[in-house]
Amino acid sequence: MAAPSVAGLGRRLRAWVPRLMQVRWSRYNPSYLEPEVNKELYQKPLEELTEEEREQMELKAVRPIKAAPPTLSSSVFSDPMISKFTNMMMRDGNKVLARSLMTQTLEAIKRKQLEKYHKAPENEKEAIECNPYVIFHQALKNCQPIIGLSNITKGGKTYQVPVPLKDNRKRFLAMKWMITECRENKHRRTLMPEKLSQELLLAFKNEGPVIKRKHALHKMAEANRAYAHFRWQ
Amino acid sequence: MAAAAGRVFRLCRRWGAGPRAQMLRLIYTTTAVQRKNVGASGPEKYTEAFIKKQIEEFNLGKRHLANMMGEDPETFTQEDIDRAIAYLFPSGLFDEQARPMMKHPREIFPEQRKIQWGEDGRPFHFLFYTGKQSYYSLMHETYEKLLNVEKYQDQLIAQDLPLQKEKRNLAGSRWLTKIELEEMLLEKLSDDDYSRFIQLLQKLTDLPCSDIEEKYIQKFSKELPVQMQKVVIEPLQYDEQGVAFSTGEGRRKTARATAVVYDNGTGKMTVNGKDILHYFPVLQDREQLLFPFQFLGRIGKHDAVCTVSGGGRSAQAGAIRLACAKALRSFVTEKEVEFMRQAGLLTVDPRVKERKKPGQEGARRKFTWKKR
Repeated sequence: MAAPSVAGLGRRLRAWVPRLMQVRWSRYNPSYLEPEVNKELYQKPLEELTEEEREQMELKAVRPIKAAPPTLSSSVFSDPMISKFTNMMMRDGNKVLARSLMTQTLEAIKRKQLEKYHKAPENEKEAIECNPYVIFHQALKNCQPIIGLSNITKGGKTYQVPVPLKDNRKRFLAMKWMITECRENKHRRTLMPEKLSQELLLAFKNEGPVIKRKHALHKMAEANRAYAHFRWQ
Repeated sequence: MAAAAGRVFRLCRRWGAGPRAQMLRLIYTTTAVQRKNVGASGPEKYTEAFIKKQIEEFNLGKRHLANMMGEDPETFTQEDIDRAIAYLFPSGLFDEQARPMMKHPREIFPEQRKIQWGEDGRPFHFLFYTGKQSYYSLMHETYEKLLNVEKYQDQLIAQDLPLQKEKRNLAGSRWLTKIELEEMLLEKLSDDDYSRFIQLLQKLTDLPCSDIEEKYIQKFSKELPVQMQKVVIEPLQYDEQGVAFSTGEGRRKTARATAVVYDNGTGKMTVNGKDILHYFPVLQDREQLLFPFQFLGRIGKHDAVCTVSGGGRSAQAGAIRLACAKALRSFVTEKEVEFMRQAGLLTVDPRVKERKKPGQEGARRKFTWKKR
């Protein structure tokens, strides 16, 4: 592939160009570090920091830092998990629509929970969780599989071998299943926020089709236990 | 020149391994992969005599040039040479490499490896038959140093002396890159080889008493230039009413913005004459505008008047964010400026739209693959 060139800005933006073209590359020099937006970390006094954090701070003082992306901000309302989920829901780059669907979902969750809260007797009121963010995080956590299957070819045949999953992969699978479930298995007339809020509430209670899918994956992994040693060919 | 060298080589071959005190015809092969000029024409062969002659000619030419320019030949540096050549041979050529240049022959003719075996065909180095003799000998040397350090440590422990634990400053230096190491060893390395060497070096530096081998380690580490080109923070300006204000400029993709941030404000922000609620209907953009203020905890304290042009909705918001952050630097302590930098508020986002390539539909998307 030809070396990347800056379209329309000439030589003014001298961003970094790698010597050898990689397939996945970024406009930042590899020495740039990720930005840290959380305000509290900067207000901590020097004594409370651990050794690692001190080293990190020293490193950050010398290295350049990347610019914060438009989805990241230090406000209390920005949540990395919610942003990731919104991006996965987005179609054709329509972030406005995806974000509005997300806010409507959270609103729907809150409304449903408040309804339940007001109808419940006094002793059960505390057990009902009304914070939609807590419900969202817990639901996705409940949907995360522990073990996954990977295709390993040995002797001409492809086997499904149980393999431990990384954290990122678990989160990704949970979100992906949730979104596919809400897109496909719903009535034509129901809107996404309604269906999503329904699914999230079910997942929060460890019920519902997404949890079933997770259990199905676990069962498959258990069934293919015999091939586990193929992982280390 | 190349033909002459080739002829001489063939002559040597015909005379076979005759009794000769010195191998005069040392044939070199190039190792530089990245230099487009040299690599493209195939392996060049420069004899040592040729390089020596070139160096003599260069030094003589340098003195002549100094005379021509009316300067002192003794103190004529490379920069002076470059300036003189640019003056005497002005060239409007676009490519810097195509312009006339006069540099030391060592920079023009890349470093090459001498022949590795003697008259009788026996190689000089004992690791020659590994194929990567310099690399393996380097690994052996480094491991020897490691064993040295461990022995020293054992001695200290035996004498019950405390082991020094002076933390080496990681932030200020980096290891040589693979290309630099290849140039140093004059041998091609694979990525695996390189990473193994770096791991070994890391192991050596992590030992507590590695200070005794400090000189050896320094050969493979480079100082990172402390990147803080001290940015001058402009002082506050005051307008007619005595209100302090500061300006900042920002850009993102094709958008250019300027922001004027006033003190003693109520948190009103105007963009191109319109209120931000009207100009940016999307919540994400407004969040980005307020980000610098929220980070510093100064939400209701400043007024901002911004102008922006070019780009799209999100690019304009990003440009104004950068402009406001730069303007806020004047209102705030140095420590907070450093915090803003570490939060990514003061860096220009270099990401722009990637160009479309020929033979593909877009920047990355290829045309639909048709079997026939």
